[in-house]
Amino acid sequence: MQATDFESRGIVAGAREGFIAFLPVSVGLIPWALVVGMAMTSAGFTPLQAMGMNIIVFAGTAQLGTLPLIIDNAPLWLILATGLALNLRFLIFSAGIAPGFRGIGTGWRWLSGHLLTDGSFAVCYDKMMQVDDPRWRLGYYLITGVWTWLLWQTFTLAGIFAAGIVPKSWSLEFMATIALIVLLVPMAKSRPMLVAAMVGGGSAVLLRGMPLRLGVVTAICLGIAAGFAAEHWQEKKAA
Amino acid sequence: MNYDASLWLIFIVLGLATTLPRASFIVLGNRFSLPPTLQRALRYAPAAALAAIVVPDVLVIGGNVAPVNPKLAAAIAAILVAARWRNPWLPFIVGMGVLLGIKALLPGQG
Repeated sequence: MQATDFESRGIVAGAREGFIAFLPVSVGLIPWALVVGMAMTSAGFTPLQAMGMNIIVFAGTAQLGTLPLIIDNAPLWLILATGLALNLRFLIFSAGIAPGFRGIGTGWRWLSGHLLTDGSFAVCYDKMMQVDDPRWRLGYYLITGVWTWLLWQTFTLAGIFAAGIVPKSWSLEFMATIALIVLLVPMAKSRPMLVAAMVGGGSAVLLRGMPLRLGVVTAICLGIAAGFAAEHWQEKKAA
Repeated sequence: MNYDASLWLIFIVLGLATTLPRASFIVLGNRFSLPPTLQRALRYAPAAALAAIVVPDVLVIGGNVAPVNPKLAAAIAAILVAARWRNPWLPFIVGMGVLLGIKALLPGQG
């Protein structure tokens, strides 16, 4: 069919360009995936459990961030609340990139949503807004999501098996803490973000005695409020 | 450590807590949007949440604040390296090096 031919060229052409733009960015996923794989193994997950989490959750930050709570046998609602807090940025990314899905069906939108990551958002945002052909846009976006998924699963699996052969005295579980630091440091470069992080971290220490580990959630809320307040204060000062 | 079947329930709940925020506005289209004030406030959630997990992890040992401990030293080293260089591997090499170095030099320090 002629129409299908034309349509598939649109999606393939988009995918080709998307892949070229995304390939260099995607290399940064590799150490991250290795560390998440090692951290899950250090937490005591079997390879099946670790890959189960990796495929079902598919979110490095939320996986690493909730691991200490899972190890501590924290209540489910606290794990959920922490996971949500770590994923809230995706609400903003999703709202931002949503206009780029004009003319694309609901099924593709669900798949695209599931595959939305920081890297895909950053690389695809401009093209999703500018290009007219919805199939080209879908191809461009989806290739970044599918490639992220493949790299992520492959190198997490490598990390799971690498951790299995390393002796316990090497304290590999600390790699998870370093990974969270690596995520946090570039965020904290703006003053209000630094305030949010310091208030969140400081109050989590001070409130660690609260029952049911309510301290973590309270600390996150205080950190958000402090960052927001600092932003207002900074703007007032500038004005 | 062994986990029971409830671990899979945790995975499913976390999976929903990931896919639903990601898919939210992409699936809803332009019918709904977040109030701008809320959008701005939510930008601080990841930094606050990461710090709320990392700081107690490196500062509290056995329930007490321990201002001198190998994990904190390693964390500070990793922060300095991550702030200074963009190489993604370096914070891991330096952080683990400091942690294992201190543990080797001072056995019994956690």
